[in-house]
Amino acid sequence: MSAIAIRARGVGRTVDGAPIIDGVDIEVRYGRVLALVGPNGAGKSTLLGLLAGDLAPTSGAVELDGRPLTAWSPRELARRRAVLLQSNAVAFSFTARQVVEMGRAPWARTSRADGDERAIRAALAETDVAAFADRAYPTLSGGERARVSLARVLAQDTPVLLLDEPTAALDLRHQEDVLRIGRGLAGAGRAVVVVLHDLSLAGAYADDVAMLDRGRLVAHGGPREVLTAERIEAVYGTPVRVLPDPDTGRPVVLPRRALSA
Amino acid sequence: MTSRRAVVFTALAVLLAGGVLASAALGQLPISPAEVLGTALRGLGIDTPWAPSDRLVEQTLAQIRFPRIAMSLLVGALLAVAGAVMQAVFGNPLAEPGVVGVSSGAAVGAAAAITFGASALGGWSVAVAAFVGGFLATLVVYTTARSRGRTEVVTLLLTGIAVNAFCGAVLAFVLFAGHTSSREQIVFWQLGSLNGSRWLDVLVVAAVGLPSAAIALGLSRRYDLLSLGERTAGHLGVRVESLRIVSVVVVALLTGVAVAFAGIIAFVGLVAPHVVRMLLGPGHRALLAGSLLAGGTLLVWADLVARTAVPAADLPIGMLTSLIGGPFFYWLIRRNRAKAGGWA
Amino acid sequence: MGIRRRGALSGTAFIGLLALLVSLGGCAVTAQVASPEPSASAAPAVPLGDLPRPADPRAIEGPSTALLADAAVAPVEDAPSQSLPSTVESQELAGPRTVTVVDTSRVVAIDLAGSIAATAWGLGFGSTLVGRDQSTTFPGAAGLPVVTSGGHTVNAEAIIGLHPTLVITDGTVGPRDVLEQLRDVGITVVFLRNAPSFDGAEELAREVAAVYGAPATGERLAERIRAEVASTEAAIAAIAPTPGLRMIFLYLRGGSGIYYLFGAGSGADVLIDALGGVDAAGAAGWQGMQPLTDEALVAADPELVLVMTDGLASVGGVDGLLDTVPALALTTAGQHRRIVDMADGQLLSFGPRSAAVLDALARAIYAPEPQ
Repeated sequence: MSAIAIRARGVGRTVDGAPIIDGVDIEVRYGRVLALVGPNGAGKSTLLGLLAGDLAPTSGAVELDGRPLTAWSPRELARRRAVLLQSNAVAFSFTARQVVEMGRAPWARTSRADGDERAIRAALAETDVAAFADRAYPTLSGGERARVSLARVLAQDTPVLLLDEPTAALDLRHQEDVLRIGRGLAGAGRAVVVVLHDLSLAGAYADDVAMLDRGRLVAHGGPREVLTAERIEAVYGTPVRVLPDPDTGRPVVLPRRALSA
Repeated sequence: MTSRRAVVFTALAVLLAGGVLASAALGQLPISPAEVLGTALRGLGIDTPWAPSDRLVEQTLAQIRFPRIAMSLLVGALLAVAGAVMQAVFGNPLAEPGVVGVSSGAAVGAAAAITFGASALGGWSVAVAAFVGGFLATLVVYTTARSRGRTEVVTLLLTGIAVNAFCGAVLAFVLFAGHTSSREQIVFWQLGSLNGSRWLDVLVVAAVGLPSAAIALGLSRRYDLLSLGERTAGHLGVRVESLRIVSVVVVALLTGVAVAFAGIIAFVGLVAPHVVRMLLGPGHRALLAGSLLAGGTLLVWADLVARTAVPAADLPIGMLTSLIGGPFFYWLIRRNRAKAGGWA
Repeated sequence: MGIRRRGALSGTAFIGLLALLVSLGGCAVTAQVASPEPSASAAPAVPLGDLPRPADPRAIEGPSTALLADAAVAPVEDAPSQSLPSTVESQELAGPRTVTVVDTSRVVAIDLAGSIAATAWGLGFGSTLVGRDQSTTFPGAAGLPVVTSGGHTVNAEAIIGLHPTLVITDGTVGPRDVLEQLRDVGITVVFLRNAPSFDGAEELAREVAAVYGAPATGERLAERIRAEVASTEAAIAAIAPTPGLRMIFLYLRGGSGIYYLFGAGSGADVLIDALGGVDAAGAAGWQGMQPLTDEALVAADPELVLVMTDGLASVGGVDGLLDTVPALALTTAGQHRRIVDMADGQLLSFGPRSAAVLDALARAIYAPEPQ
């Protein structure tokens, strides 16, 4: 069993009396892709925020590499884990390249800063954004911005990556690209957590799947184990059929639609 | 440095030097450029035949014109940097130091000192009162906007609006309750003026303002990261809350000391950083350094016009900067919005 | 959110600034066109008591203009002796400060009402003046270069350009620190008290004389002022009705929409008293100089309104005034159109010509020339 990157114990977050996350125990391991799934409002982004350390839990604790998050300075955290949020607005008209460069900020004035150029170039290439690297970020489309932000996260070059819906604005090809990049990172020994809407994507690429329902962790395990028709129907409230992918054998989730007469 | 940056900085430096030279040579007391040079050299300890024989001319240059030029440079530079910092903290190129209540608090302080004839510190009374007022207002805005150890930008803005409104009301009352002479003095203070700047004033402004500007420059990289959003900046290692506190204090110092001695001079903190951003891009290291230069240049030229345009008159400089700044800013908005695909 | 707010803010700021600009421009323009002093050419010698006049001054209708019989300031001595250097107390912000006056050969005497220059002239030191303020328009001084543009702001370099050795002022033009800054250049600057009243005029005579090192001359001028004012007041008392006419003084700057009522302590009350009138504003509790309110005006119900000539012109004359201040039309003064105007540089200037000003006003109030 690979080493534990992040461990959350009995973690909960209540805002104005309402529990957004309630009593979650979860482990994120190195070398594996963990998909966080669940319906709208289940608390996926909140849980990600708790794991990242920007939101403080109202109960329980989160540890990174065995140390509680509160014991880490922001800079130490930045060198250990990178976060990609859903909204990626940039206030001023920096170029795409400059945005990606910002990902190297935690390494400024360290020996690893020598690798800045290489890391940036690699990140631009992997996310297929080199073509518009010198364009102003605010002029890019939603999908292009998403990829540039991912490039920034990749350039940050950390052992742990937390990605919140990285595929939301992307087309088919780029969605696959992103998840393939995630798998590659995990293959190289990093821990990757991805919040996903698309259950089939989760089924196709994740090593572990954690399903949240109204702030509670209702399932945590391999894709085949977690993504069952009964469970999905119970949690999402819509009937589905789960079939094995003809090429990979992994679960593909198909909503059951009634044919209009 | 890229060649574009070199060109822009050189151009700014030339404009600045030109402004200083023109300001030194022009004024309502006719003085030849040779006499100017001579006086400057004499001040550095070098005696030349160019030094003016009329002691009055020399003294006018040394005690009235030169300090005023120095003050216009300083005040312009400090206000521009304060503006750029505010824009970074709010992530909006339209933010300006007045938002945190510095200007209106300073106005109330100055108005109170003028109306109630505060003279405990002699000529310094108004400046000190203005500075204290500005700082207090900023403090009130900031502490009110904090909750659970965090300050939201929107709350800061809203609290600033409330405090500005309140200060405006107090100011209106002080104006009403005061004598005509203090009323006129206050109104002129509100319009800004570098008239009467002395070397001691310049020293104080430099002593407070330059270190503050240096701090802001040191935070450049962090401001770049802040434009990614506060959460993301935090993910990249920035202590956002500390950055915000320090920034607000720096802005209060920069603006407070400038306003205390020169009254309210609008638009420099808005126009100068915006022009620099257009020319050099949003990277904050170049932006802050460029704003220093651009702000100083802007005000040196503006003050030249203020004290020479109308014979025997000294126009309020805030009026000039607003006259020029307003339409210019409007044009900038129209031009830039489409080009940058949103707010540049 | 920030964007919309800025839009509204810059919009209002813009309008506000335009308004301010217009008002300043108005201020500068009206000041620039300050009329040279008119003077009546006929019949200066008829004493007040002998003038043909209506039995009841309250029955007089229509406006009148008060004209100085002789706009010139008569010096009390032609070549007064001086004992220099003199030491005087200058009224600084931080308190009185001793100043030594060494050279009075080139003097700039400036204040808002022009009384210091008039006093210097009245002492016989008119030849030392090299620059003047906006209000100093009497013959002999009208040709001097102006150093206060817009009436109350000074430009240091413009003053220095006249190479003065001494600046005498009272703090009504400024800003103060610019005048204090002149000391850094080696020019002596003295701030005087200058209270707006007849006693103040006498004091001013003594103070200015002290600066020039001619205290005896100062006493003579002060005594002359006192005697002239006393005799004029007596002559007025003889013809003024009892109870006295209710009078108010209005300060008008039409271009800027400025309408002020001058009450107790502004100098207007002293004038009105001396004119045998009742200070309606002061009686209503009005202190100092306040913006005009309709209710105050109606409550005071003046029977006669005093204004400055240029101020009246700036609101479009009597008709314009009654139009823009309809409350005035409801008062007795408004109904009888009893508006008495006098040149800006004379009306509230308390100095050597005070008695002449009183006399001119009394004539306009009690025995106006048929218009």
